[in-house]
Amino acid sequence: METQEHTATIAESGESRVLESGEREYMLDVRTQDMELNMGPQHPATHGVMRILVRADGELITGAQPHLGYLHRCAEKIGENVEWLMYLPYTDRYDYLAAMNNNLGYSMAVEALMGIEIPRRAMMIRTICAELNRIGSHLIAFGTYGLDLGAFTPFLYMFREREWMMALFEKICGARLTYSYIRIGGVFNDAPPGWLSEVERFCDTFEEKWKEYCDLLMVNQIFVKRTADIGVISPEMALDFGLTGPMLRGSGVDWDLRRDMPYELYEEIHADGAFDVPLGTGERGTVGDCWDRVYVRVQEMMESIKIVRWCLGAIEPGEVIADIPKTLRVPPGEAYVGIENPRGELGHYVVSDGGKVAVRVRVRGPSFVNLAVLEELMPGALVADSIAIIGSTDIVVGETDR
Amino acid sequence: MDFQGIYDRLRAIEAPGLEGCDEPRPANAETKDKGRGGDPFCLVTPALLPAFLEVCRDDPHLSFEMAADMTATDPGKDEEHLWVNVQLLSVSKKHRLAVKALLPKASPVLPTTSGVYRTNQWHERECGEMFGITFEGHPDPRNILLPDDWVGAPLRKDYEFPREYHGISCE
Repeated sequence: METQEHTATIAESGESRVLESGEREYMLDVRTQDMELNMGPQHPATHGVMRILVRADGELITGAQPHLGYLHRCAEKIGENVEWLMYLPYTDRYDYLAAMNNNLGYSMAVEALMGIEIPRRAMMIRTICAELNRIGSHLIAFGTYGLDLGAFTPFLYMFREREWMMALFEKICGARLTYSYIRIGGVFNDAPPGWLSEVERFCDTFEEKWKEYCDLLMVNQIFVKRTADIGVISPEMALDFGLTGPMLRGSGVDWDLRRDMPYELYEEIHADGAFDVPLGTGERGTVGDCWDRVYVRVQEMMESIKIVRWCLGAIEPGEVIADIPKTLRVPPGEAYVGIENPRGELGHYVVSDGGKVAVRVRVRGPSFVNLAVLEELMPGALVADSIAIIGSTDIVVGETDR
Repeated sequence: MDFQGIYDRLRAIEAPGLEGCDEPRPANAETKDKGRGGDPFCLVTPALLPAFLEVCRDDPHLSFEMAADMTATDPGKDEEHLWVNVQLLSVSKKHRLAVKALLPKASPVLPTTSGVYRTNQWHERECGEMFGITFEGHPDPRNILLPDDWVGAPLRKDYEFPREYHGISCE
């Protein structure tokens, strides 16, 4: 009797519908409890030691809170305690997949305070190294993203090409991951004989392989279904969250520091029409979804190859490092220099009081900033899609935590 | 727009809290001034920083859609102020602006700017733990990189390195 009364009240409140058979179906509210789920710190899809506290209502994510700091190594504090040149190796260690770019960012910030002129050949080699490193970094991003979504094979292929890139770096500076090769004032040493022609061979091979990779993953139906229309970031949201790099361009915002605020040789390279800025177009879904972000990274690899080719065509013999003393005394001042890293804008804010040691070395890591968007992007997604969303942000935890 | 253009525009629209600007200058041996290199920046009253940023974002000639970075600096042990540095970036106008607010070390309190730029929410959490700055009205003022029970503000120049942490010797 009681139940009938209860259903009667529901019927009055309108929570029912009439089925085709004439029967009435009541929408009884199923109450579920939110579950808190710890993703990480050791979860393979977090790409490092990071924890995301996910609150889920069944399959639906209702909240996500990234917890960082597991890899915090006090980079900024160290910067205030060691000499200018001695800090350089520490820059390798924030975004360890793009160490050349980090070296470049820090060196450029110090050079901005010192006002020194960099030899042209040094800038050429810097650009080649930075772009090769961008390719390597995007290969990892692309490969591991496939791995996150269950495609194992592409990952192995990507590592093959990346291995060659690392061998190239080993030949020029002796290190495979943490280079410290780009120095304040230029680069550490000149390219060994035959190195530039090997880079050219790498470019030739890579162009061929790149097409295979696109066929292998980008148009793969399973991959498209897992990434298209998932984790859509609108352009306004991207700007509000300060997203940069492929995260921003994936949302269709036409912004690349290499073209819009050119540094080093990029103004000349762009004037020659040597590279374009690929944007997310929503080809497979909505503009700004996971697929678009991956698409931008994949296209960027090819643009990097074009830039490297331009440099190979224009490089001339000459000095590779400006004349700087062993113990640097940087004139007083403060400068912020942002460069286009594979993951976005890597900013260095350096303050000097004229001494041997910096007053402040601030590192604006793109991964740190890009990660914040998860708080907004994850709620409303399915638990299974959370992996696709995290992977598409392409973070390196060494950089979020610094 | 270059810095002078931006600064003139800010003065023309009477941006709230704008105190002045500082530009690089060459060294002067006579006055023993060491000079200053690097970027020019705008000085802003700390209490009016959110209002200032809002104007920078919404003004059609400035349109700083993005805060590229926000951080703080402790310029030295003997200095009385902390600096709060914001780097603004305009994607549509292709210009940057450095903004600085001087915050007294004795009472480092600042209204939050995370309502203007969402990205500043995490930057402010970092400034909070590293410099001991309190951001009034911050929606989530927890530590971000440091453990929740960390004592002291590590990036302050007068920070004393801890001898131990939870029974782990740090010496």
